[in-house]
Amino acid sequence: MTPFELVEPASLGEALALLDPDDPAVRPIGGGTALMLMMKAGFFEPRRLVSLRGLGPGITGINEGADGALDIGAMVRLGQLERSPVIRRAAPVIAETLVTHSNVRVRNVATIGGNLAHGDPHMDLPPVLIALGAEVVAASPSGERRIAVENLVESYLETALGGDELITSLHIPSQRNRRAAYIKVTARSADDWPALGVAVSLAVENRAIRAPRIAIGAATETAMRLPKAEAALTGGASWRDTGREAAAEAPVIGDHHGSAAYKRVLVGVTVERALRRALAGVEIAG
Amino acid sequence: MTAPSRTIAFTLNGRPVTAEVAPHHTLIEVLRDGFGLYGARESCGQGLCGCCTVLLDGRGVSSCLYLAVFADGAELVTVEHLAAGGELDPVQEAFIEAGAFQCGFCTPGFVLMTKQLLDEHPDPSDDQIRHYLSGNLCRCGTYPQIVEAVKLAARKRGSV
Ligand SMILES: Cc1cc2nc3c(=O)[nH]c(=O)nc-3n(C[C@H](O)[C@H](O)[C@H](O)COP(=O)(O)OP(=O)(O)OC[C@H]3O[C@@H](n4cnc5c(N)ncnc54)[C@H](O)[C@@H]3O)c2cc1C
Ligand code: FES
Ligand code: FES
Repeated sequence: MTPFELVEPASLGEALALLDPDDPAVRPIGGGTALMLMMKAGFFEPRRLVSLRGLGPGITGINEGADGALDIGAMVRLGQLERSPVIRRAAPVIAETLVTHSNVRVRNVATIGGNLAHGDPHMDLPPVLIALGAEVVAASPSGERRIAVENLVESYLETALGGDELITSLHIPSQRNRRAAYIKVTARSADDWPALGVAVSLAVENRAIRAPRIAIGAATETAMRLPKAEAALTGGASWRDTGREAAAEAPVIGDHHGSAAYKRVLVGVTVERALRRALAGVEIAG
Repeated sequence: MTAPSRTIAFTLNGRPVTAEVAPHHTLIEVLRDGFGLYGARESCGQGLCGCCTVLLDGRGVSSCLYLAVFADGAELVTVEHLAAGGELDPVQEAFIEAGAFQCGFCTPGFVLMTKQLLDEHPDPSDDQIRHYLSGNLCRCGTYPQIVEAVKLAARKRGSV
């Protein structure tokens, strides 16, 4: 790797001041797992990395509000999320997703902030967090704002974050009375990067499906919701027909894990399976 | 550009040490070049194979993907430490007794990941064993013996 400067600010204000919106060679660093791969490949040569390790407890905690909403600091490690009793109870789909995410060593180091800011479309958590309706809290010198995870990534490795903006936490609304499932499809080993990821989240009231959210990752330019499939499901479509709608609607692209035609077939089948998993043991009218 | 090096202090295999490192140095470079510890090897260099595994505050990390400066203040254990008292660790004994290696290149990584596994799950299921070790590759293909070795190690540790 080429030499660079590494700074370790002790406060958020200091960290923001050390970023430089005009210089793409200045980046924040969380766990560094994604950055290190890019630096070792010579794909990224930083001038300065701003470490977020010293920013204190506000950025390293997992908190559950009285209403069941979760606030997760940006420097929380993926392994910490996986093992957290709060996450396992309040949003178990996250812990289930992490089991086949990369490997134990990567999860021991990678942070949720770095995971979301990386902007690689081939990732497992973004569709899950989109299905859960999560938002990131982002801070910049001009203040704080919330960005829905579905609007965070704009294109390959490009996010809506400004060059002097940091993710400070992730907010997940209460999942009480909701059920969710994630299915990862891989072309090689079970813990490989996904060829497709499908996440669904929904409520069941009076034996009817309410407010479903269906999101896919790793098969489109960015992880995204599939609103037509969601509307079909709310309108009473079968799981199979909802899957068909999803396959017709999704702007699928191919990559080295599979062609667009193959992935389109996978979308249909996997949406149906994800709905079946989320609704296992639940009776639905019709 | 030359980046200034800095002094980091950490515990290495039970003893407090300091090292002069530049920000772009990886942990494995410092362990091998600075401390002559060759048990961790850089093989894939991408976090995939586990040959470079070390324990940082009790948990496995890929030292090929870890900035050395981030080890400041940490407690680090490499495979060299396991038999420091002159006796093999139960996990090492189990790997030998189960014949869980051929060339041995991958073994330090598997042994250290097994330590994290058994610390967190003293009596692991087959699924847990496969899950914790899925990020370690053995080119000699001794996987069945490795799974047996982990179970043997769990029994050895349980009976101590
Ligand atoms: C071997 C291996 C296997 C993998 N397998 C999978 C897999 O199966 N599925 C999957 O989904 N992913 C996989 N990944 C990717 C992994 O999820 C990411 O590398 C990791 O989540 C990035 O987190 P980090 O903290 O290490 O990020 P870093 O490398 O620190 O940062 C990543 C990006 O985010 C920026 N950043 C970091 N923190 C912040 C912040 N708080 N605010 C704003 N920007 C920030 C950085 O500048 C950089 O652009 C794998 C990675 C490896 C190395
Ligand atoms: S060399 Fe580090 S994981 Fe392969
Ligand atoms: S024993 Fe040779 S690589 Fe595992």
